[in-house]
Amino acid sequence: MIDPSVAGRTYPAPRPYAVSREKVREFALAIGDALPAYLDATAARALGHVDVIAPPTFAAILAMDTWRDVMADLGVDFSRVLHTDQRFVADRPLRAGDIVQAETIIDDVRERMGASWLTLRTDLVTDADEHVCTAVATIMVRPAESRDGPG
Amino acid sequence: MTLASDGAAFGVGTGERPTRAGLALGARIPTLTVRVTRSDLVRYAGASGDFNTIHWSDRVAAQVGLPGVIAHGMLTMAYGARAVTDWIGDPGALVEYTVRFAKPVVVPDDDEGVEVVFEGRVATVLDDGLVRVDLNATCAGQRVLGLARAIVRLS
Repeated sequence: MIDPSVAGRTYPAPRPYAVSREKVREFALAIGDALPAYLDATAARALGHVDVIAPPTFAAILAMDTWRDVMADLGVDFSRVLHTDQRFVADRPLRAGDIVQAETIIDDVRERMGASWLTLRTDLVTDADEHVCTAVATIMVRPAESRDGPG
Repeated sequence: MTLASDGAAFGVGTGERPTRAGLALGARIPTLTVRVTRSDLVRYAGASGDFNTIHWSDRVAAQVGLPGVIAHGMLTMAYGARAVTDWIGDPGALVEYTVRFAKPVVVPDDDEGVEVVFEGRVATVLDDGLVRVDLNATCAGQRVLGLARAIVRLS
């Protein structure tokens, strides 16, 4: 089980993330969504955006990137992790050209049904100090010896 | 993956976007049907950087007690977002989006993959031009997303 005293630990991404048109395109096509605002700056501008915007769940790339450090710090192997809840609150969409710093905090640690449950909150802030998105995840970490699956 | 949307409600495909004035509580947004294959999981793993082995290795999935390789929850969540953004027209109008991953989407190692169906209804008209849409996602008759809701800003 994970020691509840780890709540409050923070994990800043080691470097800022530069959102690019090509990465947004790759991600949009990987989720099967060829919406013009994701692929074409002219179409995005027609909707009032500065450049191509990223799909709403793109922020997960930046958030989950910091999770690697969380899991390494807690000594947890990713195959024991089950993502159970996710929320995104967007001040505005991420867009090509954004330089974004992500920082994750362990908001909460609980023990339930023989597993540890963590709430991980990630805030995304641009280099212009603009807060763009908060991503909140709940993950379940099975004990190392467990062979029981979910549901 | 293959995608299908019923596209009937709200004139989707005609450039017509929903407005608060035209909304009825309980109104359905167009249903989105997605067929997910192993190849989609590989592609999403690469694009997202989520290389968790349970999304590509049957051996590891079995070791941790899963019925098989499962889709990334974030991929299922992305499809759900699309059901909403296809309806509102501008993804920038999606201000909040929450899901619970109620059941894993098990993706077989074959060409057919598995079908996930996303349905949504207008649940509440909030203040400040915000509207809450409640989503339901089902796979093989089972609900795979619970408490799934999107808050959108409509003019």
